[in-house]
Order: sequence, then structure tokens, then C-alpha cells
Amino acid sequence: MRRIAPVVMAGTLLLAAGCDGGGGATSSSAAFDPATCQGGALAVLNQGGITHLDPARLYTSGGGNIPSLLLRTLTTRNRQQGETSAKPAPDLATDLGTASDGARTWTYHLRDDIVFEDGTPITAADVKYGIERSFAPELPGGAPYLRDWLRDAASYQGPYKQPDGLKAIETPDDKTIVFKLRKPEGDFPYLATATQFAPVPKAKDKGVGYEAHPVSSGPYMVESYQPKKSLVLVRNPHWSTKSDQLRYACPDRIEVTSGLDAAVINQRLATGAGQDANAVTTDAVVGPEQLAQLGTGGPLDKQVSRGEFPATYYLAFNTKKAPFDNQKVREAISYAINRTSVVNALGGSTVAGASTTFLPPQKALGYQQYDYFPAGGTGDPAKAKQVLAEAGLGNLSIELTHENDDAEGEGPKVAAAVQDALKQAGITVKLTAIDASTYRDVTGKPDTEPGLSLQYWGADWPSGGPFLIPIFDGRQIIKAGGNFNLAQYDDPAVNAEIDAINALTDQSQAQARWGALDAKIGKLALTVPLAHEKDVYLFGKNVKNAVPDGWRGTYDLARISVK
Amino acid sequence: MTVLRRLRGDRGFLAGSVVALLMVLVAVVAPLLAAAAGQDYTNYHDNLLDSARGGVPLGRFGGMSADHWLGVEPGTGRDLFARVVYGARVSLGVAVGATMLQVLFGVLVGTAAGLGGRWADAALTRVVDLVLAVPSLVLAISLLAIVPPDWPRPLLLAAVIAVLGWGGTARITRGETLSLRTRDYVAAARLSGAGWFRIARREIAPGLAAPVLTYAALLLPTNMIAEAGLSFLGVGVRPPTPSWGQMLSTATTWFRADPMYVAVPGGLLFLTLLAFVLVANGLRRALDPRQSEVLR
Repeated sequence: MRRIAPVVMAGTLLLAAGCDGGGGATSSSAAFDPATCQGGALAVLNQGGITHLDPARLYTSGGGNIPSLLLRTLTTRNRQQGETSAKPAPDLATDLGTASDGARTWTYHLRDDIVFEDGTPITAADVKYGIERSFAPELPGGAPYLRDWLRDAASYQGPYKQPDGLKAIETPDDKTIVFKLRKPEGDFPYLATATQFAPVPKAKDKGVGYEAHPVSSGPYMVESYQPKKSLVLVRNPHWSTKSDQLRYACPDRIEVTSGLDAAVINQRLATGAGQDANAVTTDAVVGPEQLAQLGTGGPLDKQVSRGEFPATYYLAFNTKKAPFDNQKVREAISYAINRTSVVNALGGSTVAGASTTFLPPQKALGYQQYDYFPAGGTGDPAKAKQVLAEAGLGNLSIELTHENDDAEGEGPKVAAAVQDALKQAGITVKLTAIDASTYRDVTGKPDTEPGLSLQYWGADWPSGGPFLIPIFDGRQIIKAGGNFNLAQYDDPAVNAEIDAINALTDQSQAQARWGALDAKIGKLALTVPLAHEKDVYLFGKNVKNAVPDGWRGTYDLARISVK
Repeated sequence: MTVLRRLRGDRGFLAGSVVALLMVLVAVVAPLLAAAAGQDYTNYHDNLLDSARGGVPLGRFGGMSADHWLGVEPGTGRDLFARVVYGARVSLGVAVGATMLQVLFGVLVGTAAGLGGRWADAALTRVVDLVLAVPSLVLAISLLAIVPPDWPRPLLLAAVIAVLGWGGTARITRGETLSLRTRDYVAAARLSGAGWFRIARREIAPGLAAPVLTYAALLLPTNMIAEAGLSFLGVGVRPPTPSWGQMLSTATTWFRADPMYVAVPGGLLFLTLLAFVLVANGLRRALDPRQSEVLR
């Protein structure tokens, strides 16, 4: 599961997870008792390697799955099941933060019983220092939000070059930390789950070398770490259940092995021979081999977790390029699309679902159903032809740019499905493959952006903001590269509405407004939403309490037991 | 005529050539065959797939039915029969094209080296050594990865395979030419005033026919494997064009869920390769019986 920039780390390196999101987990038993689950060694078999373990360099959703085992943050995923699963919960802090000055100032108080792995108490200064480090150009990779949100932080170069630190973060005493933002941000408690909010003791900081052994604040600490290959975690003797009720920390030892093939991982998890019975994965979604055995009442049905990471696969139009500047053309393509073929190309209805909205169908994101250009299950080529004829366009010939491999769901398989559907509507599609490693560089630069491309967008946290802002905020069109507003759409009214929703601290109000905004923009056919992601992960037969949450769609390693 | 008689008595050769000719025929009339089946190799049939199980074909044996003779492709529902017969065009077309080019380069360079005197021979032999020493798969992958996508892929594949694989033919031709040029009839032609070009064309070329033909027949299956390998690695033909190698490549994730999808292109590739190898061996035995005795 490699991902686009905002979630790339969350997908490739370390996945976050918690409790129940969409589908019902089949493994959790009501009788699971966190007090008696301790013991054993958990094996994590992954495709993508952990390239960095520095809290400043990790790009995670909800603090990540593996990072969250050793890094506590101001807030974290609440790891609940069901409806409330997509919310944050206090972690190092005593609550989700107090907003003042119209959500421009956020104040947090730290718990009293929090210590590092060497027993030193964690202070507000440690949290502040951790955030400042993430601004250092030597430690790139984190999410871009802090630099954008904090007051006067745009040009800060980190504590190595500017030891005076960030004025926007105040620590009036050891237990209080205050953030001053340049604009209202009601989603701040969600951002505070990121690993950049993990405390770093200044005395132990070795710069780029710090990631060899990041000082733990969570239930586990690093025994050995080989970048991209392996990570072994053992218990942190100074962590206590009393200070942290969210992490159950059942296994005594956690061993992560990376660089394995997805088919091999799933085969091993399904077979569960020897140590593989105690194994899980955080990034190998099931393949056809296992899907054929699922739902048949066989033993594999007890070894599967079904969740949903909020994410959308879509066709992105560059409205600055002909013929996609013509809304009729965009509408015709929307009518012609065959979502059944696309879902099959993504691996079938168990791992993907058809979408007509840009927001994926999660309540936490503010999802509102709409279908302005109904294509039915398999496309409406007649209607598409009619729309083209009305616009005076006969035989249309267009180019579709996609990645050269299918790993991210933006590859030749989905492209060929789109090509076939548009053929029925008389639109000839030429496919252009770009190497996956440079795909974002080409599509993310307005100068080189193709007219039509396959795209994927996942939520940095379960809220409408990080889903809609990078895609539709006109002020987010980045000429230099790294642009995600591929329609290059800039409407002052939409930008103003985004600012207004950002100022809301009441999530239910914000949800309704994000949903309405998505439904409004949808009328312009700036994208063709194709499908949303469903996550199906296997786990070994001894693994207990593997339940997914609304942040990541995967099970939470901090709550799994192999006893 | 002894050659034809020997070939007629060689059962392996006969069986091989029947199968090989049949495959060539299939490739040539692929559109007619697909039309006879009432299918097209690009049309999706989502209704024939079990989407909840990852898109495996519904029904037994990979979705075989009266409409879809060999079943459908998992994940897309495209007709497997139509894809296989169209795939034969790419697989055989590229192999035949590449072999012809290799023979052309190889014979030209080989005769030039054999007849050209010390310096020309030394220079050309070094070039041939270089071609033989190049890691051809790696180079082929990089060459195919950098060319613009709108270039015709099958032609490109044939050219790349040929450019990287003509060394063997050149070596054999050179060796044969060196031995032929010392024969009395060549010396007689030279004494009667014939130029080098005329000698190459009239005296040497007929003598080269047997070894080169045999070698070409062995090259053909090798080239087919090369095409299948490159398509398997994803640098071959572009979708939706099918080739057997590309089909095998997508089949790797399906081999347990839908064994038919691996068996059909895999079996055809195996059968075709076997047929061409039988033909090549038959030719070698018939054209040079003495050597084949030794080889046996």
C-alpha cells in the first residue's frame, strides 16, 4: 500500500489503527481482558520497510501503528470501536485541549505520571523541543500542517540553527504547553496525534542519528533497529498501565520484519505455521488467493479484520487543459465510467466500493450522498454520447496518465478499465504510464500536469478538512511542485467557506459543512470519484483482539494479544 | 532430396511442424477466430466475475462456457480465447521478426568477417564478442523503459531482442565462412576473377544455408522466451494488447484462485516452444546427419 505524499508514510512505513471502523471485526471476543493479556512475542510481517524512526520524520495518521507503541503524543487515536472510533483521545495531555481566541490558541496540560524510558519525567519543554526539531531541514518527512498553522513559523529552521525556538509555542510551566496559531483551526486535537507531538529530551538528541534509538515514552522501547529491514521492541520498564489506559501492550516483545512480498505475507498468515501463528501485518492487504477462501465459513474467516481507511480513488481533470476545460466533457466522462470494472480492477468488492462522491462514506468526514452524473453500476454510455453531442463534440480522443504498476491502485489495471468504459461511449483513450517513483513529481507540478490522471487521496486524520482542502482550496495550488489541487480550481467563495469551517471546534457542525461543501463542488465534475478503499487484513491464528478503527482501517498493535 | 526424405521419416519433426504451423495459422487468422467465437479481446464482462472474491470468474474452470470457450480473465472478465489467439500474434510475431533480423545482421557481419582479411576480421570479431558479453536482459529492460510510449511496441520488442542477440549467428557464420573460403571451388572462383561480393553471394551463401537455418530454428524459441520474459517483467506490449508473457505475468497472483488462467497461456507457450525445438532438432539432423550422430 504505497500512498500519495500526505499519507505516503502512513501507508508505506507504519500504519495506524485502533478499533472498529466500518465492517464488523470477526475476531474480538467480548471476554477480552486487557489485564490478563500479557505475554508472548508478536511478529509483524511487512512489505514496506521502516525507512525512518525519528518522530520528526514520520508521516502518520493518528500517530501510526508501530510508532505509537513507543511514542506517546499530546493526543492520540481513541482506539474505541464503532461510531466513536474516528475521534482523538488525550494521551500525554489531560484533555483534548482548550481552545481560545476563536480556536487560534490551544492550551494543553500534561499528566503527572508520565516518564521517559530512563525514568525522567516528561515536561512541556520536551514536547516543544520535539515539535521544533520537526522544522529542521535535516529531518524532513513530516506532515506540512505545523509550519502552515503555527504563528510566524513559516521560515523557522529548527533548533539546531535557531536555538531560540518557536515563539508560537509557550511553556509557562513544566506541565503546560500553549500553541498560538495564525488562523483558526478546530482540528488541532487531531493534528496533535502526529508523532511530531511526541516528547524528545534535548539532552539525548543526536540530530539525524537520534532515530537509531528514539527515547521511548510508550509501553515499548527499541532493542534494535535496522532501517528498512527490521525493528525489535521490548517492554519499557518505566511505562505503567495507570498512566496509559489506551495501550494494552500485551506482547512482551514485538519483532517487525520488512521487505516481504504481499502474497508471501498473506500465505504465511493464513497457514500460521510455527511462529507465524503469532504474526500480523500492517501493510499487506489480502490478495485474490485469500479472498477466494474468505466468506466460505472456513478457518480463514476467523483470521480477518475488516476496516475502512477513509480514502478515494478518482480521475483528476486538469481544467486548464483542453478538452477538460469544458464541463460537458468532464460530465460525459462521469456518465460513461463503469465503476464495477474499476472496483474489480482494484481487487473486487471486498477491498473497494464504488464511490460517486469525493468524500469517502465515513460519517466522521461529513459524507453526504450525491450522484449528479448517474452512471449506474456499469456506466451510461448513451447519456455520455448525448452530452458530447449536445456540446458539439463527436469522436473525442483523450489521454489518461497512470502509474506503471498497480501497487497503489493507480496503475494499468484501473486505467484499462476506464479505457474500456469510455470506449463504449465513443471516447478513445490513450494510456500513458509513468514510473511510480516519479508520478507525483509529474502530476504535482502544474507545468507538467497531464490533462487526465488516476489519483488516490487518503485522510491524514478522519475529518473533512484534510480531505478537501489540499484538493479544492485555490490557495493550495503550488506551482513549484507537490500540488494536489489538480483541477487548479480557485473559487474565493469556496476558500472562504474552508476558512469558516476551520474555525469550528464543534466536529458535528464541521462535518455537516464539509459534506455540504463536497456536495457543492461535486456539481462541477472537477474529479470523477471512482471507488473508496476497504481494508481487509489477515492475522495469525493465535492473535486476539485484532480490531480495526476509523483512522487507519487496520488493527491496533497496541491492543493485540498473542498469549 | 535426401534432406526431405530424412525429414519425412522424423516423427518428432513432423509433429513439431504440424503444431508450429497450427500456431502460426492461429496467429494469422486471430481476428477471424475471435469473431467466430463472437468475442473481442478488450471487452470487459463484469457480470461473469465474483467481485466479492477478488474478481475470480464465476463458474467452473475459469468461467468456461459456450460463449467463452477458454473462460474469462479474472479481474476483468475479458474473453480468454480471444486474448490467447491475439496473444499468439505478439508472441510469434515478435519472435519471428527478431529471428529474421538476427539472421540478417549475423550473416552479414559473419561473412564480412570471414572474407574480410585480418584487420576486418579482428575488428568485427571484437564487436561480436561485445554483443555476446552484454547483459542483454538488463539492457533490454532499460531500453524498453526509456522509449516514448507511442512507438509501436511489438516492432520495438523485435528490434531490441534482435539487436542484443545476433552475436551467435555472426560467430557461426564467420566460422563456416572461414572453412568454406579455403575450399577448391572458392579458390577457382577467385582465380577466375570473381570479386568478394560475388564470391560471398554465389559460393559462400549456399554453403551457409544449412547451419544458419538450423541455428535460426533454435533461435526462434529463445526469442519467444525473451519476449515472454520482457512482457512478464512489464516492459513488453502495452495494455490492452495481450501477449502470452504478459498474461502469465498477471496470472502470478491468481495461480491458486484461478488455475485455468495460468494453464492456458502457460500451456500454449510450452507447446509452441516444444514444437519449434522439435522442428529445429529435426532440421539439424536432416541437414547434417554426421554431426547429429555425434551429438546423440
